[in-house]
Amino acid sequence: MTTRQLDRVTRYDRRMVQIMNNPAGRPLYATAARRRGLVAAHIALTAALLAVLLGGIAERLPWLILGGVVVLLPLWCFATGAINGCTRGLLELRARMLDERQLADRHRVQARAHRLSVAGLFGAVVALGAIGAVQGEFRSAALLPVLVVVLVTLWLMPLWTAGLTARDEMTDDVAGL
Amino acid sequence: MHNRLAMVRAERKVSRQSLAEAVGAHYQTIGYIERGEYNPSLDLALRIAGFFRLPVEALFSLEPFRPLTDEVYGRTS
Repeated sequence: MTTRQLDRVTRYDRRMVQIMNNPAGRPLYATAARRRGLVAAHIALTAALLAVLLGGIAERLPWLILGGVVVLLPLWCFATGAINGCTRGLLELRARMLDERQLADRHRVQARAHRLSVAGLFGAVVALGAIGAVQGEFRSAALLPVLVVVLVTLWLMPLWTAGLTARDEMTDDVAGL
Repeated sequence: MHNRLAMVRAERKVSRQSLAEAVGAHYQTIGYIERGEYNPSLDLALRIAGFFRLPVEALFSLEPFRPLTDEVYGRTS
């Protein structure tokens, strides 16, 4: 596909394109430094959410989980929306709503995220193996939290990569015509 | 690949947004093409040329374009 296949576009597709191209959030991600800050904030919020959820489950503290989710989840959703806005929905929109350059960018982002995820997983395996070798055993209780962190990292790595590789907005020199 | 898209678009007073809508692309894609950061497919290049009613080689070339003044008036120096 080289250009958008407009014959199969649904109302949902059009609405999502509008949301992803909404100029209201542009000051949040206008510069590379702001986009890096946004991604860093998203990573920190994700880590905090995971810590609250996994810690709450391990310590059997439902109020900690509830409180953490009520406070952190809206902030996390806001940050996710802002990153999706700065990529103009590169990963969020259906493929038929992206043009050829966006599809090429999406593939590039996914390939880079895959490489980063594999490198991160390799580092985690080496680190866990080293810890296990030093301690003489690997605690099975650590398996679930490690798997959850791996799952979330694999899930969100493309979003973080897309946020970091997004480029500045171009002003339209003949705007308003 | 070299192109004259920015010049032709400005000359015809067409915004990136309206050109993008006409050819089924994102407005940022038009900007990336103009800046030489993205080379369009033949399909998209032909759509853009069709929008301006120009032959595709008037907009896109593998060789650098000569300055327009040279083409119109010839080089004087």
